[in-house]
Amino acid sequence: MPIETCLVLSNEGLTPGAYLLWLEAPEVAPHARPGQYVMVRCSSDHDPLLRRPLSVHRVEEERLALYFAVVGRGTEWLARRRPSDEVDILGPLGNGFKIEPHSRNLLLVAGGMGIAPLVFLAQKAAAEGYSPILIHGAPGALALYPQRLLPPRVDLRLATEDGSQGEKGLATELMVRYLEWADQVFACGPVGMYRAMAAHDLDKPVQVSLEVRLACGLGGCLGCAIHTRQGQRLVCRDGPIFDLGEILWDELKM
Amino acid sequence: MAELRLSVQLAPRSKRGLWLKNPVMVAAGTFGYGDELAPVLDIQRLGAIVCKGTTLKPRPGHPQPRLIETASGLLNSIGLHNIGVDALIRDKAPLWATWQVPVIVNIAGETVEEYARLAARLEGVAGVSALEVNISCPNLEAGGMEFGTDPVTAAEVTAAVKEVTSLPVMVKLSPNVTDIAEIAGAVAQAGADALTVINTLKGMAIDVARRRPALGSGVGGLSGPAIKPVALYMVYRVAQAVEVPVIGCGGIASAQDALEFLMAGASAVQVGTANFVNPKVALEIIGGIEAFMRREGVGDIAQLIGAAQP
Ligand SMILES: Cc1cc2nc3c(=O)[nH]c(=O)nc-3n(C[C@H](O)[C@H](O)[C@H](O)COP(=O)(O)OP(=O)(O)OC[C@H]3O[C@@H](n4cnc5c(N)ncnc54)[C@H](O)[C@@H]3O)c2cc1C
Ligand SMILES: Cc1cc2nc3c(=O)[nH]c(=O)nc-3n(C[C@H](O)[C@H](O)[C@H](O)COP(=O)(O)O)c2cc1C
Repeated sequence: MPIETCLVLSNEGLTPGAYLLWLEAPEVAPHARPGQYVMVRCSSDHDPLLRRPLSVHRVEEERLALYFAVVGRGTEWLARRRPSDEVDILGPLGNGFKIEPHSRNLLLVAGGMGIAPLVFLAQKAAAEGYSPILIHGAPGALALYPQRLLPPRVDLRLATEDGSQGEKGLATELMVRYLEWADQVFACGPVGMYRAMAAHDLDKPVQVSLEVRLACGLGGCLGCAIHTRQGQRLVCRDGPIFDLGEILWDELKM
Repeated sequence: MAELRLSVQLAPRSKRGLWLKNPVMVAAGTFGYGDELAPVLDIQRLGAIVCKGTTLKPRPGHPQPRLIETASGLLNSIGLHNIGVDALIRDKAPLWATWQVPVIVNIAGETVEEYARLAARLEGVAGVSALEVNISCPNLEAGGMEFGTDPVTAAEVTAAVKEVTSLPVMVKLSPNVTDIAEIAGAVAQAGADALTVINTLKGMAIDVARRRPALGSGVGGLSGPAIKPVALYMVYRVAQAVEVPVIGCGGIASAQDALEFLMAGASAVQVGTANFVNPKVALEIIGGIEAFMRREGVGDIAQLIGAAQP
């Protein structure tokens, strides 16, 4: 598993406070699977110290894209990278989403920035002949991921809380309409969204991407251990993708 | 120049001894059991690997959040989450026995007797090259006061472990004390073959939105570049106070840092938190020490150890 110093190809603000960063990553990109992440160094010295985990957002041959929100000093630093700068990544890491052999109808549910790993999943699924439906919710139209960047054959359904585009409401409310159709559900978003999904008592497999603080990404520090119905698990290595039913909600109050 | 000599003997008083081919190890709790990191770097080139702190029974550790970043540092409260000594002997040691790199088992207990039982369990286990005794643990028989903060209990633990093992014993000192040299002296007197200096500094962070401590367990241990000057000073002090080898640990992230610790009097170093930033950093530090020795015409690492001492 390589640590790669990648050339920045482009870095553009897509939505207010969120950036699409394309990297030349010949050692990492070809091995990445949807739902996996990379640990990104976000400084040239010791501050901020730790790498930041970011999902693999897209892969085109040897190029890899990240889609990230600026929420603190690490992502601020990353947003300032310009073409021909270098960014150091470690990966791909984690287990990734798994499409069950008998699933045909794939429903992807993205709350806000949660669209980051799901675009890669949609891209892969479409390339393998599936016709996934991608539900994407955001507070308002401005925060929605630009449709022109989505891979072809992905059926996009939008929801905004203020009703400025698509349906008025939450992604999970829109999701309910497609549950019957879906064989399998994949979700990424805030914990509140997962709680809402869990309340629906879904009778089909649901995989979600979990977020806790990571340090090493390799299972070496045990900083990201959580209790699940299957026992103790490391989010960095056993996850970040978990079955919704495995999660003990008290563990995710942070 | 002739070949560089980087090898160090860390347990001259022990019958078995502990030769490392170079003085750069990875610190307990930052490198798992070694195998987790093997896909990323050639772990066989390390001086030694110290494994995750191990207790008699498996421990689930503390609740989330377990990690909080600070200015050039890291607060952790993992809470000695580990698989327990039986699983270590069954699942990890056989793998270690096939490795070139020595593996040192870090042990932690809540009573003096627990430390001794751990050491006894590990006696004769193939794949274990030495023990490192973490005395920064609450002593259940003394109201939770850490073993490492009192010279008498620190010495008791050391003696109890030494009595039941033929392995070299390194004792890892807590920096959360008034005079580390006093503890170091007591532990060396009690038979420690080497001293690791230092473990994490006690620290905390507050989540102002919740008005609560930010770590799940409230209090944690501070590590990383932020603690380097403190660790360096303690190594300098302890190296003056004892005859046994000192292993420097705390904030080491570059060859320059490692050289500072060697010159302060450490015979070897451990790299901890910096592994998270760059899993290959220990190997880069070995390369950097070699480059320094070539540049400065130093043939034997022994010439650097304690060079900055008066
Ligand atoms: C597997 C995984 C994949 C991820 N993928 C993406 C992605 O594709 N796109 C994206 O935008 N983000 C993603 N994240 C989240 C991203 O890692 C964080 O937003 C980033 O680390 C923040 O770094 P920072 O230095 O900018 O902010 P920091 O300064 O580290 O944090 C900003 C604020 O958020 C708090 N905080 C930081 N981390 C956490 C946490 N885990 N839980 C609760 N509070 C926290 C801090 O205390 C601080 O107040 C992912 C996280 C994980 C674990
Ligand atoms: C996540 C983490 C876990 C640790 N676990 C242990 C442990 O189990 N036993 C121990 O003796 N020290 C443990 N330590 C302390 C380190 O081994 C080391 O002494 C300390 O972090 C200072 O070195 P550093 O600044 O290079 O990290 C841990 C440190 C960290 C950051």
